[in-house]
Amino acid sequence: MAYEEPVTDYDKIVENCTCAFCGSNCDDVDILVKDNHVVGVRHACRLGASKIMEDEDQRLTVPMVRDENGELVEVDWDTALDKAAELIAGSVRPVFYGWSETSIEAMKPGLELTELVGAVIDNQATICHGPTVQAVQNVGYPLMTLGEVKNRADMVVYTGSNPMNAHPRHLSRYTTIPKGWFRKRGRFDRTLVTWDPKYSDTAKLSDIWVPFEENGDYAFCNAIRAVLKGKKLKQDVISGIPKEDIYELTEKMKKAQFGALFFGLGLTHTLSKQRNIDIAIQLVQDLNKYTKWVLLPMRGHFNVNGFNIFMSYEMGFPYGVDFSRGYPRYMIGETTTIDLLNREECDVFMVIAADPGAHFPGGALAHLANIPVIQIDIHWGPSTELADVVLPGTFIGVETAGTSYRMDSVPIFMKKAIDPPETCREDEWIVNELLQRVKKLREASK
Amino acid sequence: MKQITLTPTKFSSIALEFDELIPDEIYGWSKADFEKYEVPVGNTRFPLTDYFDIEVEGEAQSPEEVQMIIDGDAGRVKYIGCKMGAGEIIVNGDADLHAGAEMEGGSLTVNGNAESYCGREMRGGEITIKGNVREYAGTSYIGEWRGMSGGKLTIHGNAGKQLADAMSGGEIHVMGNCDILAGIHMTKGFIQIDGDVTRWPGGQMKNGAIVINGRLDRLLEGFEPEGIVADPVVEGKEFTGKYIKYIGDIGVSGKGTLLLNAEKNRHHL
Amino acid sequence: MVEYILKNGIVYDPINEINGEKKDVMFMDGKIVNSVSDDAKVIDVTDKLVMPAGIDVHCHLAGPKLCVGRLYRPEDERRGVKPKTDITRAETGFSIPSCPATGYRFSRMGYGTVVEAAVPPLEAKHTHEEIIAIPNIDIPPLTLFGNNWFVMQFVKEGNIEDLAAFVSAWLKITKGYGVKLVNPCGSEAWGWGMNVHGIDDPAPYWDVTAREVIRGLAQANEMLGLPHSIHVHPNDLGHPGNFPTTINSIDCMKDIEKNSEYRNQTIHLTHAQFHCYDGTSWRDVTSGAQPVADYINKNDHVTMDLGAVTLDETTTMTADGPMEYDLYELTGLKWANKDIELETASGLVPFIYSGRNPVHSLQWAIGLELALSIENPWQVALTTDSPNAGPFIRYPRVMSWLMSYQRRTEMMDNKEVHAWAGRKSALGTLDREYDFYDIATITRAGPSKIYGFEDRGNLSAGSIADIAVYDLEPNSFDPSRNAAAVEKAFSNALYTIKDGEILVKDGEVVKVVSSKHVRTEVQGFEEEEKRVLEQIMPTFNRYYTVKFENYIVHDHYAEPSSIYKVNASK
Repeated sequence: MAYEEPVTDYDKIVENCTCAFCGSNCDDVDILVKDNHVVGVRHACRLGASKIMEDEDQRLTVPMVRDENGELVEVDWDTALDKAAELIAGSVRPVFYGWSETSIEAMKPGLELTELVGAVIDNQATICHGPTVQAVQNVGYPLMTLGEVKNRADMVVYTGSNPMNAHPRHLSRYTTIPKGWFRKRGRFDRTLVTWDPKYSDTAKLSDIWVPFEENGDYAFCNAIRAVLKGKKLKQDVISGIPKEDIYELTEKMKKAQFGALFFGLGLTHTLSKQRNIDIAIQLVQDLNKYTKWVLLPMRGHFNVNGFNIFMSYEMGFPYGVDFSRGYPRYMIGETTTIDLLNREECDVFMVIAADPGAHFPGGALAHLANIPVIQIDIHWGPSTELADVVLPGTFIGVETAGTSYRMDSVPIFMKKAIDPPETCREDEWIVNELLQRVKKLREASK
Repeated sequence: MKQITLTPTKFSSIALEFDELIPDEIYGWSKADFEKYEVPVGNTRFPLTDYFDIEVEGEAQSPEEVQMIIDGDAGRVKYIGCKMGAGEIIVNGDADLHAGAEMEGGSLTVNGNAESYCGREMRGGEITIKGNVREYAGTSYIGEWRGMSGGKLTIHGNAGKQLADAMSGGEIHVMGNCDILAGIHMTKGFIQIDGDVTRWPGGQMKNGAIVINGRLDRLLEGFEPEGIVADPVVEGKEFTGKYIKYIGDIGVSGKGTLLLNAEKNRHHL
Repeated sequence: MVEYILKNGIVYDPINEINGEKKDVMFMDGKIVNSVSDDAKVIDVTDKLVMPAGIDVHCHLAGPKLCVGRLYRPEDERRGVKPKTDITRAETGFSIPSCPATGYRFSRMGYGTVVEAAVPPLEAKHTHEEIIAIPNIDIPPLTLFGNNWFVMQFVKEGNIEDLAAFVSAWLKITKGYGVKLVNPCGSEAWGWGMNVHGIDDPAPYWDVTAREVIRGLAQANEMLGLPHSIHVHPNDLGHPGNFPTTINSIDCMKDIEKNSEYRNQTIHLTHAQFHCYDGTSWRDVTSGAQPVADYINKNDHVTMDLGAVTLDETTTMTADGPMEYDLYELTGLKWANKDIELETASGLVPFIYSGRNPVHSLQWAIGLELALSIENPWQVALTTDSPNAGPFIRYPRVMSWLMSYQRRTEMMDNKEVHAWAGRKSALGTLDREYDFYDIATITRAGPSKIYGFEDRGNLSAGSIADIAVYDLEPNSFDPSRNAAAVEKAFSNALYTIKDGEILVKDGEVVKVVSSKHVRTEVQGFEEEEKRVLEQIMPTFNRYYTVKFENYIVHDHYAEPSSIYKVNASK
């Protein structure tokens, strides 16, 4: 990596901004500003820094509507908003998806709009940690805030997760490297363990790497639990791990003073899906008989947890909520986005602060290509290629302030450092405009 | 006896919801009543007649005397027979999600496949699926640890993943094959699978019984073998032949019974 | 400037010693007034029961653990679903209602102010976000201090001045109303999977005891002259044989002088029912209510609230992390936990209280026994520690039990509760019945004094016009023979008036308004607060995982606000 000179040409530093990338929500980010532009970022990892620094690249700057030739052309705000409102007001099975990269404040009018038209509102959990939520709903949720790990943990386990790639500061700011109150020697006072079929970058840093075989998570945890109950394992190798190693690992986990288990999509999206987490949660609960253990899902977006919390306090259910019958319903496989798209039920799709074009399975995308799609976002992306109405928003945490909830549910108010481009509008404003316009259309049609 | 025949005429990719059209609610309806009815579709209601031709014959003084036939593909008709307490529903085609969910009595027959959540939270009555079922047949509601508690669900074809999650009573008979994690979190009830099972039946099971007459690929460590039994009797049902008996899931201190056909499952011995 | 006159109601206003008088109540611009002009709008409530709007002294309704509960109990959310109407949004939840449902349901019962019982400072913004989403009631939050590392450090040093400055600063930071202690030192021990027993068992590493923390915070509280006293959930909740810990907790700070004119107490003992068990195990457990009631009868520095069991399937949720783990071991039901760095812990487990279960029936009896054994109703407040002993929608049911010896006896006689209720508690021998004046005391007037809410819980001129009218005619109705009617009437207010606006009519919500965030702000300690903040900031920066600038609750989270300013003494 070439050496780069430190940035010295700036007007001011806005301190303690919150990074708007992953669920670590690092709130110690300093943004260096000159002439209302971001010229430097301090303390962010390369993911956060790239999002903040490369923001101007492929930025959506004007409202657009797809014309008869299938091209996106610039229009004024009223035209775009009216078109979007018409689509929403006339829909029978609308889905409002995304939300995980915008603020709680923007979600509020979004929910109001959902209640008004009887839509389905959903967020990235539906393709991400939804199985975690389901497992939690089945067996419980023994959690902690990240500072508890920093201050107390002497054993940290990552499974189905590769934070060195996906949450780069997780170990250095929160769990493993920092000097905690009771772990004054930081890294040296802790044992870092990775359970992963791959020798990932996190595994490379770990003291112990347990490479169980793909799709073997459920049986592996089942075996540890059996060992905890005093059982002798019958098979010599379970999920690719020799039984002696399982005995040894179980002993180490029992002997820790404070253990923390972090998990990600390696659990949520392999064979047993939510049952992988289900059994991992029960394993952590079992370990509490012997010593202190907690766990936390590694949420991938800075406000994916925020949406689940917001929906829970407003309408009881965390995601995939269907208001079509006048009251909220939550039924995985029926009121969740991918299923509604696969089954070709959705007739109007609004995506805000998400990129389904990049993340959804092919079958769902094939349907999205056939229905009207409204996009509220700050960057061009695959979703823009699918959109029929494009509404350019602003960058939460840099251009617009707002509330987010970290992966451990700590609420953080994200500051703004610069003013947004003049042609863009805040997400909250956009969604509220849609709400007001849909209300008017419905009044008019009565 | 009142016989109501609904013949599908138009397919709607946005599913219809039939929770209001159960014998308990409609036993007194005339043909005109059905023709007036607007069925929920997404966030709107549309006339039932947009999707079905309707015939009504005979009289009913109570739901028991109702036979409702959907004479064709109901692959986008959800909640058929949901919460019904009496009467008979027959579907001459596939059925969509939640067929027979929360059923208390009466019978539902699907002469085709059923989508997921078939027989969810069943409390009584009988459901027969001639084809296959997708995931979560005979399951509980997410988060609810007291699942299906009564009634009988018979599947002639194959069952998908996570059959009978949190089952707490009743009976399920799968004549075909079954996918992973059948009977997960079970606390009571009886499951019989005649075909082959892929992996891990009875995970985190506390009690109840699962009998597998076919071949099981992978078994969980949480199941402790108790030896071979001949001609076992489980929940009053007699099985002939030799079975390997397991108790589990030890991980939850479970005392459930898992019986595997010994012939087909030598590889576990 | 609309004037209103509620005409001819039968008024119960214990703060003003009004006991069932036929009287008009007048209000204008959101405040109670002594007279109105002839243009006043008349609301005819002839012969109907009129009281100030209810004040709930302890409820879990707004904050992080509520969301853990809602998220992990969709089966509870599904249970309480109600479709939207033209005025109200859809409702969900039975024991853990959604925020809109919470506001509507309290409003329908004639309540105007509900205290959120336990807020962890690190997540206080979440509580305020929920208050924004809950309509129609004012919500004062209590900030958790009893396991806070800074508090334990100050207490250990005996540094009460700095402790007071810390408390004052932290109440401003969290926009809280008062000081809450939950299992002091025990929830810190839970950080290691441990607990403490009794008030002299030191927290691991910190080596401070609950006795010291209770005394320290009580002194700090009085030094600041806060409107409420310390609010304490003692150690050993739910353990057979815990009543001595309870008495020790309320006795150990008895000597500390009160610095408040409006309230009488220097310690408030919360959900006392869970803290009044005798015996040594669940086999030989009996009621410990008598010794505790006895103590309270002899000591007016203590107030308490009931935590009455309602015999429902509900959800337990509290900052007493280790207790929730014990409950999980007992029931095997799904357990959630949330430890909060440097501050506190919390846990949740669903719980099914059943009248067929001997222990639950005894718990049911103990709550009522306490209420009927404490002589002075001003020392008693009605709660169910919602949702721990039962959801708040059951308050009217508990009222009906307190008012009817006949109903209580009936429940014990026809086995609606297990025989342990009568056998192991003194409930069967207590034929005392609460009357409407007593009910108004334990749900309005008493709470007003306990919290230092001078402007509510009473119908004095100048107080806010928070009024409830019920479809009961006290002059011709005998509550002791009509428990079902009492419950029905108190569940569906004829009118709920809040800040002079009619929010509920005939049990239906007719208007939805924003709730106020109620807090205290101490005047006169600013220098000390600044100094203490500077002093602790290095520790804060090193061991928390957020920056202080982002930790505080910004003003916009607490709009609209209602602020009680207090002058600190030195």
